Amino acid sequence: MLSTEALLHISLWHYLALSGILFSFGMIAVLMRRNVIVMLMGIELMLNAVNLSFVAFSKESGNLNGHIMVFFVMTIAAAEAGVGLALAVAIYKKFHEVNIRFFEHLRG
Amino acid sequence: MMEAIGFYSLAIFLIYFAFKTITVPNPIHSALYLVLTMIGLGAAFFNLGAQFIAGVQMIVYAGAVMVLFVMVLMLFDLKAELRSFSRGLFSGGLKVMAAALLAGLAIGAANSSVAILETQDQAKPPMDITRQLGILLYTKYLYAFEALGILLLVVAVGVVAVSRIKGGTHAQH
Amino acid sequence: MNHPLLILTLLLAPVLGFLFNGFRFRTQNNRVAGSVATFAAFVSFLCSFKLYLDLLRRPEESRVFSARFFDWINVGDLHVPFGFAVDQVSAVMILVITGVGTLIHLFSVGYMSHDARPAKYFAYLNLFLFNMLVLVLGDNLLITFVGWEGVGLCSYLLIGFWFTDEQKAAAGMKAFVTNRIGDAGFLIGIFILFFTFGTVNYADLAHMLPATPDMSWTGPLTVATLCLFLGATGKSAQIPLYVWLPDAMAGPTPVSALIHAATMVTAGVYLFVRMSGVLIMAPHTMHVIAWVGALTAFVAATIGVTQWDIKKILAYSTVSQLGYMFLAVGVGAFSAAQFHLMTHAFFKALMFLGSGSVIHAMHEEQDVRKMGGLRKYLPITHTTFVLGWLAIIGIPPFAGFFSKDEILWQAFSSPYGSKALWLIGAMTAAITAFYMTRLMALTFWGKSRFGHDVHPHESPPSMTAPLIILGVLSVIGGWIGIPHVIAEVLPGHPANIFEHWLEPVIAKLPEGHGDAAIEWSLMGISVALAGLSAWFAYDSYVVHEGRTKGIARSFGKFYEAVANKYYVDEFYSAWIITPLVEGAQALWLYIDVNFIDRATYLAGDLVNGMASFAKTVQNGKTQSYALYMALGVVVVMTFVLI
Repeated sequence: MLSTEALLHISLWHYLALSGILFSFGMIAVLMRRNVIVMLMGIELMLNAVNLSFVAFSKESGNLNGHIMVFFVMTIAAAEAGVGLALAVAIYKKFHEVNIRFFEHLRG
Repeated sequence: MMEAIGFYSLAIFLIYFAFKTITVPNPIHSALYLVLTMIGLGAAFFNLGAQFIAGVQMIVYAGAVMVLFVMVLMLFDLKAELRSFSRGLFSGGLKVMAAALLAGLAIGAANSSVAILETQDQAKPPMDITRQLGILLYTKYLYAFEALGILLLVVAVGVVAVSRIKGGTHAQH
Repeated sequence: MNHPLLILTLLLAPVLGFLFNGFRFRTQNNRVAGSVATFAAFVSFLCSFKLYLDLLRRPEESRVFSARFFDWINVGDLHVPFGFAVDQVSAVMILVITGVGTLIHLFSVGYMSHDARPAKYFAYLNLFLFNMLVLVLGDNLLITFVGWEGVGLCSYLLIGFWFTDEQKAAAGMKAFVTNRIGDAGFLIGIFILFFTFGTVNYADLAHMLPATPDMSWTGPLTVATLCLFLGATGKSAQIPLYVWLPDAMAGPTPVSALIHAATMVTAGVYLFVRMSGVLIMAPHTMHVIAWVGALTAFVAATIGVTQWDIKKILAYSTVSQLGYMFLAVGVGAFSAAQFHLMTHAFFKALMFLGSGSVIHAMHEEQDVRKMGGLRKYLPITHTTFVLGWLAIIGIPPFAGFFSKDEILWQAFSSPYGSKALWLIGAMTAAITAFYMTRLMALTFWGKSRFGHDVHPHESPPSMTAPLIILGVLSVIGGWIGIPHVIAEVLPGHPANIFEHWLEPVIAKLPEGHGDAAIEWSLMGISVALAGLSAWFAYDSYVVHEGRTKGIARSFGKFYEAVANKYYVDEFYSAWIITPLVEGAQALWLYIDVNFIDRATYLAGDLVNGMASFAKTVQNGKTQSYALYMALGVVVVMTFVLI
């Protein structure tokens, strides 16, 4: 699997591996960073990684379904980012903090 | 050969920028690195022959979404935070492991199912992508397209509702 | 006439009376409540009479009407229909119950005219009537048990009728609990009989008996009948469970007349007359019954001599006469027992109602030391009471003479009887004559001992009419059971109608020893004894007053013991009740509180602890939750893919 030939000939797997790495980076940002905005950025990163894999698959299978999917994902991600940021602004206005270690109200 | 070099350098850039995104303490720096990541992803899309998507990525993501992020960040009075990462080595390790496992499993799943896809790397579509995308969007995926429009409308209204000030921006407090 | 319909009407009339009065129990209208109840009882009496007439028309072998209303229990091998049967024995019983019952209902209308809750009283009386009829008419042991329990309940309700008085309420409880102990025996007896024979139906049991009697103390028949006898001692107030009957005098006097003289307490006797065939096959039980009956008769009579409350004297007299009935059952003289049951119902109900009339006239005074000379003021009551007195002490030709002498003769001559039993019976007869005459003397004869503010007056006709009717019955009631030896010397040779009537359904014992001469001499001895005792009592209480005080003092401690009922209640309280109560308290403290409560708290604490431990998962941190989700997805994907 890891022969020079395979490494040099760029195929679907390379893009998938790259997408996987980017996805895990995004996930680590969501799980480990405490700033709300950075967490949202991690989510964006995850979505982008998924977009990459969609397009790679689309190229692999030859039809444009992957592109359509990316189109939709992008739109929704943009909408979601907008809402998330509006919420972050509202939180800041109320608590003057965007560090989630102050928001453990659902403890129980 | 050229393809490989191009891909690998792009890959290294993307990984470096993404890593920097998630590890620098200052959120503004984080945002900057994310912008660079998105531009890199745009290049990757272009490499994969998805020109329209590449363009949309640049315009929407790098151009609109990240600007929004930066604007919001500038509303906050942030310095480099203490304790930007969550505490605990064990839980941190666990989280990294979980993320890696998830990604690995996903790719492994793809491994076992992609074999049934038929590859048509020779047949290039005669028309350009944009046109084809347009036709698909307005015929086969019309319903989703319209729903998306409504979603955007609702989101726009919702965002304004969430962040409004009672009495409007010129109200006296 | 449709017999099942008659039986149904017979049973339902009191139920309707109960419902009518029960729903209106707060009313103060005594007349309406009383009239409805008495009418219901009278309807039952008419039905019983009609059934009796119809039975007469049938030939001797097939004198039974049965009615099966529905299948009550159908479990495995146990098939119990809700069935009733009117045959010779139960015909006698229902006539007595409904007849005497109607008279007592009528008496109650006058007696309870000043009570606050007459409708409740009459409802209970009708309910009692219904339950007693179910007891008597049931064609299997379980229906009888239903009626048995029902009359126990009504007895409790009626004894404790004035329950705001704690003593009266306690008397009701004592009756019920003592009854219950007997009922446990009854049930065990039923279980053993069912286990041995596979049926609880009387007719089937009679056919399934073994040919030879059960001669061992642990055989199924002996044990079962002994258990049934324990139930009978509870219900019919024999040793050891008689202690509730004197206390039951706390209830209204007509209740004492109906329940504790004429009907409920005779249920035990009726049960054994019904099961005469089974009982004959258990000779050991018969010996036990005979001796217990004789001893109870004697002991109760001795206590009756020392009592000062008019109702308590009559209560101990009832216990004593019931002892006679069980003595008869024990020696195999079943028809004599049933005969005495009937005549006793007449004269004892008469005397209880008479005492009720006296108490009513004396404004609720019950102590005979405060009475005396009432014959001037209460002529009708006095006359009827005299008839009852003559009947109970056994003077011919009154009713009690025939029945009591039949019992004494059978005790002497039956193969299960013995001279010792006859001797105890005869001595008891003498003592009975003594204390009954004492009662008469202290209440009606002699000088008046009550103050000048008491003005006794005769009772209204609604109360004296039943007295008169019962008085007539006490005179002529015995003439249907004239024994053979007397019948031979009478013109016309009247047959022993009663014994003849009951013959087809009662088991027969082999003929006893003894001839006519001995019978005549025994009769003469008992009449002479009764007369002598009566004369001695009259002399001691009316002519030479004060002699009795001397006699009582000379007996000293023994007199005190008898007057305190041989300290039986105290004995039970100290040796049975207190250990039980304290044992229960100890169990509660050491097992329930320490052990069981701790176990339940432990269970609660365990759940609490586990919850506290599980609670730590919810720490409120978003990233933890996200981590759990990611891990969850990883696990699921692992399972799916591998």
